[in-house]
Amino acid sequence: MTKLFNPRRIGLRNRILLIFVAGALLLSIVLASITYSFTRSNLVDQRIAVETNQAIANARRTQNDLLRSPDEVLVALDQGGIAHKLISINNSWTSSSPLFSRQMIPPALLQRVQVDKRAASMIVDSAKGQALVVGIPLPRINAMYFEYDNLREVRDALQSVRLALIIATFITTFVGIALGVFASRRAVRPLANAAQAARAIADGRLETRLEPTDDPDMQALTSAFNDMVATLQERVERDARFTSDVSHELRSPLMTLAASVQVLESRRDELPERSQAALDLLSSDVSRFQGLVEDLLEISRFDAGAIRLVLEPLFLFEFIKQAVSVSSLPRTEIRCDDIAALVAIRGDKRRLARVIANLIDNARIHSGGKPKVVIQLAENESPPTHVWIIVEDDGDGLIEGESSKIFERFSRGGAAGRRAGTEGAGLGLALAREHVTLHKGRIWAENRTDGIRGARFIVELPIDQSPTPDEHHE
Amino acid sequence: MTVGIRVLAVEDDERIRASVKLALEDEGWIVDEAASGEEAITIFGKHAADVVLIDIMLPGIDGFELCRSIRKSSDVPIVMVTARADTHDVVAGLEAGADDYLTKPFAPKELAARIRALLRRVRPSKPGHSKLVFGNLEIIPDEGKVLLDSNEVELTKTEFRLLCELANDPGGVFSRELLLDKVWGYGYFGDGRLVDVHIRRLRMKVESDPANPTHVVTVRGLGYRLQS
Repeated sequence: MTKLFNPRRIGLRNRILLIFVAGALLLSIVLASITYSFTRSNLVDQRIAVETNQAIANARRTQNDLLRSPDEVLVALDQGGIAHKLISINNSWTSSSPLFSRQMIPPALLQRVQVDKRAASMIVDSAKGQALVVGIPLPRINAMYFEYDNLREVRDALQSVRLALIIATFITTFVGIALGVFASRRAVRPLANAAQAARAIADGRLETRLEPTDDPDMQALTSAFNDMVATLQERVERDARFTSDVSHELRSPLMTLAASVQVLESRRDELPERSQAALDLLSSDVSRFQGLVEDLLEISRFDAGAIRLVLEPLFLFEFIKQAVSVSSLPRTEIRCDDIAALVAIRGDKRRLARVIANLIDNARIHSGGKPKVVIQLAENESPPTHVWIIVEDDGDGLIEGESSKIFERFSRGGAAGRRAGTEGAGLGLALAREHVTLHKGRIWAENRTDGIRGARFIVELPIDQSPTPDEHHE
Repeated sequence: MTVGIRVLAVEDDERIRASVKLALEDEGWIVDEAASGEEAITIFGKHAADVVLIDIMLPGIDGFELCRSIRKSSDVPIVMVTARADTHDVVAGLEAGADDYLTKPFAPKELAARIRALLRRVRPSKPGHSKLVFGNLEIIPDEGKVLLDSNEVELTKTEFRLLCELANDPGGVFSRELLLDKVWGYGYFGDGRLVDVHIRRLRMKVESDPANPTHVVTVRGLGYRLQS
């Protein structure tokens, strides 16, 4: 069974609106109907009374006229008022108008007048709407007198009332809609605020709070929400502080280790062969450990939002040459076209150099192939506003679906075909992404598009458009 | 070789102190140790060191305070050790009088290289130039003296070397990279703030109005220049 109408599918705002509109509509229809029926019966009753009195007066006068001159029936009928008249004298019917004939008198009325000898009135339906027929017995001349009134004025009056009431109903409904919109907006405003705050928190602005309110219904939500965010913030900050504290605490023993290993290394020749082997292991892992702690510290700074870039204008080609020269593969080939060679960027040269070094490390460790660095203007841009630094290798390339995962922390591109590195902790690409993002750039990985097997990592950075490179201090 | 250099290492972690001492002694240098700023001032009073190594995070008087305190009486090169390179600590330390900085953990080899660079002697580029005059500023390289309006100006060793480098090519423009290389021995990835802060410190001493320098002037986008 499928429900055709599920009220939960309609939003809270629309539900409130609907209730308001339905309420306003219902109320105004009920009020209009009551008003109409009262007005109608009043008008009709009044009319019947007036018409009956008039008819009685007319009947008397007609009777008197006929008593005076019994043959002048039509003349007698023509007197007094515009109503259609019909008279039956000794069962001989005479009408003042072709529109009123004997057939139009309802039998019940005829019965009352003829048999009961009593004046009576009755409303009949005619082709032109309702009409009033009044019957009066005239026993002195053995006659029955009838008047026919089509109630046009009543009808016109009722029509005006009806129109007024319909307009009033519409106005009331529109006021209902307006009130509904207003009320529903007011009702959901705290929800919209909460949603906005939740989005801000999701974006990392953990200090976001809902404003305290006097509304007792909202107070519970607001305080629960704020408590939740405070707890969340505390936990996030504690985690970030923990990483940072741990890394800081590790630096001092690392410092001692590095210095002591260096002392040992300067005496390497005096050591027995097995000790030398052990020293080499120790020495290489101390530097690996040092790199890991540095990476963790840098990551925790990102998480705490505590990175301050030391920005300065950099000539990209020169910068890349320098960055490659301090990487683990200093002889990596660099290709740069004539236009890209003129490009300057604004950047933190030591952090960007880490990005290049990490990408070269990644190519070296995970693809085994010889990486190459290409500098070119961003594709599909005119005028060019970005520049691409591409590190491409001739390894096995990326597995589908892997290309965004590899930028996650402690991801090692472990998919088949890629040698899981014993070097690096899997923070290199995550750090690279954070650094590039801080430079208002993008980084992504894809398989090479030039037909050669291998992956390429593209760093897109904004070109420094300022005409002369400026000093960053002073 | 720089044999017999005396280094005062101020560091509250005794294991770091001991390992740095071992490593620097391997260079053939003499290392005095101090666990606090107060102790450092006492020891420095007894034997003047050639270089002072100061950890900024010290119990008692901190590294900045110690820098300023040493600077009152000495032009000795000071290398400070900070936790991070991107904090204000670096600039604050340099402004307190430090000549260079390292971030923890550093390799003792790197420290030794930094110290050697700071202790390099500057020679007048052209022999016979016993005195270089730039308006009211006079440099006498052989005596290590600088006069402003004929009054002697107290420069630290590094400030003096920076001034001499600029004086080697009067009117010529020196990029920050070039000065980093010549004065501190840094390559491309040296920290430009070293130059900026030292230039600022130099101006405080050799300019009549440091806010409107007339001798050590900035060449926008290019670097610095010394003129009359």
